[in-house]
Amino acid sequence: MKFNIEDLPVLFPYPRIYPEQYAYMCDLKRTLDAGGHCVLEMPSGTGKTVSLLSLIVAYQQYYPEHRKLIYCSRTMSEIEKALAELKALMKYRADQLGEEEEFRGLGLTSRKNLCLHPSVKKEKSGAIVDARCRSLTAGFVKEKKERGEDVDVCVYHDNLDLLEPHNLVPNGVFTFDGILKYGEKHKQCPYFTARRMMPFCNVIIYSYHYLLDPKIAERVSKELSKDCIVVFDEAHNIDNVCIESLSIDLTEDSLRKATRGANNLERKITEMRSSDAEKLQNEYAKLVEGLRDADEAREEDAFMANPALPDDLLQEAVPGNIRRAEHFVAFLKRFVEYLKTRMKVLHVISETPPSFLQHLKDLTFIEKKPLRFCAERLTSLVRTLELTNIEDYQPLQEVATFATLAATYDKGFLLILEPYESDTATVPNPILHFTCLDAAIAIKPVFDRFSSVIITSGTISPLEMYPKMLGFTTVVQESYSMTLARRSFLPMIVTRGSDQSAISSGFQIRNEPGVVRNYGTLLLEFSKLTPDGVVVFFPSYLYMESIISMWQGMGTLDEIWKYKLILVETPDSQETSLALETYRTACCNGRGAILLCVARGKVSEGIDFDHHYGRTVLCIGVPFQYTESRILKARLEFLRETYRIRENDFLSFDAMRHAAQCLGRVLRGKDDYGIMVLADRRFQKKRTQLPKWINQALLDSDTSLSTDMATASAKKFLRTMAQPFSERDQAGVSTWDLRDLERHKEKMEEEKIRELRNGGGKMEGDGVDGRFNVQNGVDGDDFEDEDMDALMRDADAE
Amino acid sequence: MSRAPARNGAAPRRPGDEDDICPVCKSSRYLNPSMRFLVNPECYHKMCESCVDRIFSHGPAPCPVAGCARTLRKARFRRQTFEDLHIEREVDIRRRVAGVFNKREEEFESLRDWNNYLEEVENLTWNLLQGVDVKETEKKLDAYKRQNEQEIKQNAAIESQENANTEAQFAAQREQARLRREAARNEELDERREKEEGRREMVDMMARGDGDADTIARETQKVVLKKSTARRTAAERSRQQAAAKVDNGAAAPLFSIQGLKRVVQPAPEKEYDPFGGYVIKHEYYYLRDHYEHSWLDNARSDAQITAGGYDVREYCARAMMEAFGGLGVFVEDEIREREEMADKGVGTASAAAAGGGGGEGVDGDVL
Ligand code: SF4
Ligand SMILES: [Zn+2]
Ligand SMILES: [Zn+2]
Repeated sequence: MKFNIEDLPVLFPYPRIYPEQYAYMCDLKRTLDAGGHCVLEMPSGTGKTVSLLSLIVAYQQYYPEHRKLIYCSRTMSEIEKALAELKALMKYRADQLGEEEEFRGLGLTSRKNLCLHPSVKKEKSGAIVDARCRSLTAGFVKEKKERGEDVDVCVYHDNLDLLEPHNLVPNGVFTFDGILKYGEKHKQCPYFTARRMMPFCNVIIYSYHYLLDPKIAERVSKELSKDCIVVFDEAHNIDNVCIESLSIDLTEDSLRKATRGANNLERKITEMRSSDAEKLQNEYAKLVEGLRDADEAREEDAFMANPALPDDLLQEAVPGNIRRAEHFVAFLKRFVEYLKTRMKVLHVISETPPSFLQHLKDLTFIEKKPLRFCAERLTSLVRTLELTNIEDYQPLQEVATFATLAATYDKGFLLILEPYESDTATVPNPILHFTCLDAAIAIKPVFDRFSSVIITSGTISPLEMYPKMLGFTTVVQESYSMTLARRSFLPMIVTRGSDQSAISSGFQIRNEPGVVRNYGTLLLEFSKLTPDGVVVFFPSYLYMESIISMWQGMGTLDEIWKYKLILVETPDSQETSLALETYRTACCNGRGAILLCVARGKVSEGIDFDHHYGRTVLCIGVPFQYTESRILKARLEFLRETYRIRENDFLSFDAMRHAAQCLGRVLRGKDDYGIMVLADRRFQKKRTQLPKWINQALLDSDTSLSTDMATASAKKFLRTMAQPFSERDQAGVSTWDLRDLERHKEKMEEEKIRELRNGGGKMEGDGVDGRFNVQNGVDGDDFEDEDMDALMRDADAE
Repeated sequence: MSRAPARNGAAPRRPGDEDDICPVCKSSRYLNPSMRFLVNPECYHKMCESCVDRIFSHGPAPCPVAGCARTLRKARFRRQTFEDLHIEREVDIRRRVAGVFNKREEEFESLRDWNNYLEEVENLTWNLLQGVDVKETEKKLDAYKRQNEQEIKQNAAIESQENANTEAQFAAQREQARLRREAARNEELDERREKEEGRREMVDMMARGDGDADTIARETQKVVLKKSTARRTAAERSRQQAAAKVDNGAAAPLFSIQGLKRVVQPAPEKEYDPFGGYVIKHEYYYLRDHYEHSWLDNARSDAQITAGGYDVREYCARAMMEAFGGLGVFVEDEIREREEMADKGVGTASAAAAGGGGGEGVDGDVL
């Protein structure tokens, strides 16, 4: 299907389009034209990726700038899906245009997924694959080889050097599978092919980390030009990704390993002094001059890069007291020893980086400035020493990164030392958390560098929270509703059990037998009436375990057993994937199954339960975070002081985004249907925090239900779903063909003209008719016993 | 610095730590859980507290560790800070070196010079640490110390001032954070209380039966909402005020200004000058320190007279001033001048004002 948005011709690879897709594309174009950032919430299962890709590719090809697209997604499977969509789109375009365009699209993932080397690829851990690959491909290995020494190399890598550097693969889109096959056939390494081709690609698809984690971003994403279009898909958790990428945890064990690493370095230096002193001398001379090799940073196999250093610092020379290799290693040892001493303290400490630095200086005479250069100096040293078993130095690298970060940022970080694992533990097992509190720090370079950053997800409400937390401004901020020809999903809020008493996972009543029994009955009822799969989400593993054992005692499980198979998610990913597989099989055969999982677990984030895999999703309790965690508390305080986000607002927002994420799992398309049950009294107040598309479908009559009312409503819903429903019923309402689209455009035109004539008294309606005003504005009406205290205490005593 | 003791005493070692046996008396922590180890910076040999008491209580004694035999004093034994005794020693040496080589970056012409200096110092420290050319290095260190005594003292003063400042700053920051936390908590409490009140009021109103339930509910809600918005804006305002106070406050050490060049050491304060720069110069005479007068000799030396603070010089100065006072004044000229002023009539007001400010008041009374 081909249509125009303003002057831009768009080729859309399907004969029909959803109204919200059209609106989404219009807003995307508006953002790109304006050259700013945007936050867009598009209901799940409405073809977000394909609309995004087709618009941006059209934009790229139509305008002379040919802005590059960097598309970031979370998981490997999502990236692969996006690549497949892109491939299909390009094929469609070629068919329509009658010629193959000059276009390249590649995905990038870790070496572990892309390696072809027969022995390296067998390694289990990604870190080892990386390290082994580096030892085969580092620059000095090649030099040695050229000198005729006998060293191991990787042919797949070396073959690349025989090709034209900008033409390692032909035009077209390669999925991971595709590039692996291509690499196998031409005996070239897929990983390095993708890495080296990045500057020549029109579309790059990779994981968030390549852009957000400063240690990686510096290396991988450095050469991307400013006018790139950056997209973060499934970005509802982006703030946590940012924070994690800058946080470091140190344990006694890792410090011990760091010391060992430092000792190794010391030995290597002595060795080199006696055998090849010239190399060290060269390095030293370079450092004295404050020179940095221009191509040094570009080297693909660099050990590590500077974590988010300001540019002016990068221009500066390394301080004199760590210029000599020996001095630097002694410096590192002293620092590690200091950290060890700190770890011995038996009470909790939380302090800011400046106070940490002051104490460090008092005790060990380590100044802030050399500390700042730690990471960089270590990289240089490792390169000079031509180390091959780099994985041994990982702990030392962590320490160096920590040093650099602590000396660079005064604000937005906190050191928390927890001597005991839990409050009841008696044997100390200290962890030093260096935690980032400000999500904006990691993502700031991205916003600074790229003119258009698009943040999008199926559930990213409330929209204004994200610009606030990440520190950027948007030109477009939009949430789309779902246009449906029939009501294909039924959200409900159940607040009371069958005995009319309130149900909640709140701290005070969560373990009361009455509440647990009510939850049990609810689950039983739904397992009776739901065909095929039921997915249940609990706020935490701990609560899930306790409630399951109580159900066991009450005989609830035996009852449910009669209707469905019961499977449970565990923290172990292998066990969980086995459970998932069994669940799927059970859903395909026989009566179906129940999957019990956790709202913040793996299942809630990455697994889709489309069609019969999930007909009902049941959210038992509001998935609040564990509020006793010191890190969370520090972050809450930071948010309050810096961004004026109140603690309860943030906790509630965070809980609701996870709840919404869980709900979104069952509805993966417009032909899908499902029931969404929110079972907690407290959801009643929080419904405005649900994504717009869910909130709109939630009728007032479906809130504040008791178990039996919910059951009746669900039965009725399932009956209507059982009615035959054909494509034709949707046409013109929830899907448009070209004619519908034209008609809609005309209507919009007319409206605009009318508005202009009326003197523009009304708000400009530039979107689709499917937009409603946000409903019931009053949300502070907490007249019932919304007890903030309870909320704060609503924690799992983990 | 309130936390410092806790941190510095950072070695409450716990069972399970390696080498829990005293190398001197061979008693182990297993038998004596409260055993603590001490070291002496003379040789850094570790021994338990009771050994130290036993051996060194009666004055200096040689170190009991085989092959050491250095003379140690009890007073210098201390707890070790670092697990690794090499580091313990290194830090002691560094403390000494840092006490001498305490030049500051701003004293150098260029970054490169500064870096070279740093390396130089590091080399010197390194030699001491590794035991290379110790004698020579020590000599260098001493020589430098003697040569630059003044400077070293100055820099040390600056540094300790800086440290005190940062310490104060940290304390202030902590205090502020605490206050803010409290404020937030109070705000929350207020809000909850108000909500409570609102609800009670609503129930009351319903009980009294004025109006139907829905309207009452809506009304009360509105009131509470208004209140809470008002409170929120008020809180916001007060926060901003607080922030503003901090921003332009004179309480300099309470917060940090980034990007400023560090203050150069303030010039030594001038002596207090009560006349604000006005010097009394004698035009017609020159005051000598000593005048030959036999009748004054007694007053000069007699303790009975001088004890009260009588100073002959004072007397002479006064006598001279009285003798020459009025010599530069020409009465006729002054009278003429005054009359001219009076004629013009302009100067009167100011003259009157200058002459005690009474003039105007009198005029006012008369008219
Ligand atoms: S160069 Fe490529 S194929 Fe060779 S070891 Fe590295 S990742 Fe594997
Ligand atoms: Zn002893
Ligand atoms: Zn000794």
